[in-house]
Amino acid sequence: MSTTLKDEAAIVGIGETEYSKNSGRSELALASEACRAAIRDAGLTPADIDGMTTFTMDTSDEIEVARAVGVGDLTFFSRTPHGGGAAVGVMHQAALAVATGSAKAVVVYRALNGRSGARYSQGVSGGPTTSDLIHWSWYMPSGLMTPASWVAMVTMRYMHETGCTSADLAEVCLAQREHAVKNPRAFFYQKPLTLEEHQSARAIVEPLGLYDCCQETDGAAACVVVSPEMARDLPNPPAMIRSVSQAAGAHQESMTSFYRPSLTDLPEVDLVARQCWEISGLTPDDIDAAVIYDAFSSIVLFQLESYGFCKKGEAADFIRDGALRLGGRLPTNTHGGQLSEAYIHGMNGVNEGVRLIRGTSSSQPEKNDHVLVTAGVGIPTSGMILGKA
Amino acid sequence: MSEAVLRYDQVSVGDALPELPIELTSSLIVAGAVASQDYTPVHHDKEAAQAAGMQDIFMNILTTNGLVSRFVTDWAGVDARITNVSIKLGTPNLPGDTMTLTGSVAEKDDAASAVTVDVTGKNAWGNHVTGTVKVALAAGD
Amino acid sequence: MAISGKEREDFEKQLEPYVGLDIGIEDRGRDPVNAAMVRHWCEAMGDHCGAYTDADQAGNSVHGELVAPPTMLQAWILGGVGMATGESDPRDKQKELHRLFDAHGFTGVVATNTEQEYTRYLKMGDEIRATTVIESISEQKATGLGIGYFINTRTRFYDQNDDEVGWLTFRVLKFENEAPAAATEAEAPAAAGRPQRLKPALAHDNQWWWDCVEQGELAIQKCSDCQALRHPPRPMCGECQSSDWEFVFSTGQGTIHSYVVIRYPEVPGYTYPLVVAVVDLEEGTRFVGNVLDVEPDDVEIGMAVQASIELVDDEMKLPVFRRA
Repeated sequence: MSTTLKDEAAIVGIGETEYSKNSGRSELALASEACRAAIRDAGLTPADIDGMTTFTMDTSDEIEVARAVGVGDLTFFSRTPHGGGAAVGVMHQAALAVATGSAKAVVVYRALNGRSGARYSQGVSGGPTTSDLIHWSWYMPSGLMTPASWVAMVTMRYMHETGCTSADLAEVCLAQREHAVKNPRAFFYQKPLTLEEHQSARAIVEPLGLYDCCQETDGAAACVVVSPEMARDLPNPPAMIRSVSQAAGAHQESMTSFYRPSLTDLPEVDLVARQCWEISGLTPDDIDAAVIYDAFSSIVLFQLESYGFCKKGEAADFIRDGALRLGGRLPTNTHGGQLSEAYIHGMNGVNEGVRLIRGTSSSQPEKNDHVLVTAGVGIPTSGMILGKA
Repeated sequence: MSEAVLRYDQVSVGDALPELPIELTSSLIVAGAVASQDYTPVHHDKEAAQAAGMQDIFMNILTTNGLVSRFVTDWAGVDARITNVSIKLGTPNLPGDTMTLTGSVAEKDDAASAVTVDVTGKNAWGNHVTGTVKVALAAGD
Repeated sequence: MAISGKEREDFEKQLEPYVGLDIGIEDRGRDPVNAAMVRHWCEAMGDHCGAYTDADQAGNSVHGELVAPPTMLQAWILGGVGMATGESDPRDKQKELHRLFDAHGFTGVVATNTEQEYTRYLKMGDEIRATTVIESISEQKATGLGIGYFINTRTRFYDQNDDEVGWLTFRVLKFENEAPAAATEAEAPAAAGRPQRLKPALAHDNQWWWDCVEQGELAIQKCSDCQALRHPPRPMCGECQSSDWEFVFSTGQGTIHSYVVIRYPEVPGYTYPLVVAVVDLEEGTRFVGNVLDVEPDDVEIGMAVQASIELVDDEMKLPVFRRA
């Protein structure tokens, strides 16, 4: 009886829509197109699919997408909460389903009209009186109501404690932009960014400026997860899920865990990291490239520390000489990330992780045995390590 | 009366203009619309404004421009010659609110002895107007 | 949902002939530039500039004589009371273009930008006419109001000698108006009256805390068994699992643990830039609130602050912090 999720599932297909500021169609249409593309890429047909999973924040129900795509009987469907924290949580769900035999082939998807529809930058408000709304009620009256404002609060303290500067944050943005410039899917394709532009851009929520914040995008991404046995018979080289895990930390709030002894500790990210290393038997030294969740530039630094690529408080030093760039120690967000490719709640990052393993990224590092893929920060979160078969 | 004359050499980039709060009354909104010969119903007829989805009549663009021009000449005086007004429109000016105009000198053009003034008119809902006014001033003696 | 695919292609093809088109009607001022209209304008605007209404001052100024306020430019050619009927000249290509947008679901209209340039100030007796050209139509855009297209027009103004005295551009958004069916000229506020801050949702576990705020107190929940303080309030003690609790009042003294300066987006009801801080209260719990009367650049981690309970708008009391 298997007790871990090491090599119990593989990603065999990926698909996405175009990424734009105005898709001109419904989120259900986007989800269906991305799923169709992922199933085709896997060399499967909708009839082969028996599991579906997405984010709680997705507006397209699993059975709606299944009907649209022509998927038949489902033996597994589920949702993962906490926004971008679910980016790899959904992969965890898919891997669990495949590893236990609850499903043979699971489609994972996320679709949003993030620019032409509901925009996350415009803040939270209203809704039924749930524990979630009571939670936001501690912050909305004071005006703290956008993801940028919540992350900025932790970032300010982090900069105070570590000496990290806005120019250090800029290196994250510049490295990723360098990748986006080569990626035709990216919003910033062929549009480079300079340090001067980053430093002189308007402030959104100090200390975060415009380019420290991710985009708002219309689009969808999806992938197909199957067992390693099934993967052997399919056309694409599988991206094996070498480990995958989820975690919520002590004193966890959704984005506003301001009451922990240290504001800059992220026990949920530490815990995901620990599980990823334990399950896979790998260490940070084994990782050749990474897709690190980047709703904001600063959270990339936090995660580099939690995953052990450098010591706590030393991420700015770690990246200063180009570690995140191609040829650096850890080429990161080779698609441009959510800062520069598109904001699809991390699902576009999952697909980039698969491309890195296949060797087909537009910024492909030479060595690609193992790739780390992470999820949102400040919330219950998730992460996985992908490897070759 | 604005008899004082502001000379070009008395102005520096960064200088702030005196703040001008404008009480937004129905009278002002209607008077501005009528004085500008703009009888579009939403600017004088509350029912028409409500049918258009607004809670009340709202200020027309010519009045906004007129107030912006006044804001600048109140500061610059009778010898000022406005050559360009470029504005972006935002939240509407509705009765019962106050719009506060603030501004500062953004650029100086020595050849034309003209300055560019950045102007913002803000009401309770946000920026009603943001923009620039180019104004030629009397050259220094 | 905005039109897409073939339908959108066909629609956009129909727009093409309008780009560069003169709207086909000339606007002619019904009166020459005159002192009475200038006086009405200046009275409405509260504009006391002597160049417009005081012949002596105007004569001694660079203008040399009475002139009209430059921003009155368009007023000389507008239609007056006739505009109230909403009827328009059937030859007007600009109106025709708007009707084409209306027919494809883009019924909303809002002017977003306008620019005027003045070649010279108008003098009493000047006779003004104007012609308008549709200069450009944008690609389909996603805007805060909805999906739509920007139309740019330019109106050129001429005097009795056919010399150009100035021009005026308008950038107008025709958008898919999902709110009220009727056209609006501006973005409608969400509610009537002055904007207020977002209010907390009240329920069993937090109502008591807000009641304390109403009475002017910053309360901290306290476990009745192990005496541990906790914030935000919750129904059980995480330390000893007791469901019994009471509360103490904070002195409001604290230091800033972290803070942010919010500049975007500006939500109606709040004043920006808005400083929000996580404050270490001297009792040992933390609290998140606004810091008032300190310039954003002067706020620091470690700064000593003092809370007070104040009305932050017309309706809501909130604990706020000032430099101690």
